[in-house]
Amino acid sequence: MERSIGDRNILDKFCTEFCSIVEKHAKYIIVSGFVAIAAGRTRATEDIDMIVERMSKKTFNKLHHDLVAHGFVCMQSDVADELFDDYLTKKANVRYTYKDKHVPEMEVKFAKDELDMLQLQSRIKLPSTGLDVWFGIIEMNIAFKEDYLKSDKDIEDARHLRIVFDVDERKINECKKIIRMYR
Amino acid sequence: MRDKTHMEQVERWARYVKEHPTAWKKEHTQFINAVYEKAWDAMERLSQQPNGKAKIVALRELRKTKT
Repeated sequence: MERSIGDRNILDKFCTEFCSIVEKHAKYIIVSGFVAIAAGRTRATEDIDMIVERMSKKTFNKLHHDLVAHGFVCMQSDVADELFDDYLTKKANVRYTYKDKHVPEMEVKFAKDELDMLQLQSRIKLPSTGLDVWFGIIEMNIAFKEDYLKSDKDIEDARHLRIVFDVDERKINECKKIIRMYR
Repeated sequence: MRDKTHMEQVERWARYVKEHPTAWKKEHTQFINAVYEKAWDAMERLSQQPNGKAKIVALRELRKTKT
């Protein structure tokens, strides 16, 4: 991989390439840490979190093989049926990397409840990140980090997002209520 | 728990990002790339050591089972 300093860093490229393939097969969102990183937070991550809409085994097979054809490999298995039956439909995640690299990873999970579906329905693009990918709304990401995840790292991510974006405080509180209902 | 200067740094940088919507990106890119290039280089060096490949497999297994 070419190493140069440009508008896109390694994590941006990885995410954009992966999302452009998923986009052809299913609705998805990027959530959590990478939202803050894409918005300028100075920290790295081993994995980017992606929620995809639930899909048939046939559709997942196509998606998996498309990813493989574009240089990605799944850490859990090379067999799409196995990933579908033993992981995704059992609410477990699967992780993809570039074929020749151990990091970063895309941590993929199926939408598991109404909360995930709600996030998919309200997905947005964030022009200020310079990335053409779908994100979960900022207010929901902040709510998750402040009210559910709560580690130092998450609280700092939330603080960063609050400063960088003009957030709707009422919406954050609504998101927190919804999170408490489902998680 | 990290001390308050850590959060102050987070806030200082976030304000810089907000106030300089294009300037922050180059510095950010250098930082992010450095992290991954360091990790990739470390794996490359490890793969050349005796038993290095086995260690890489073990590390992969560790990550595979991560929840």
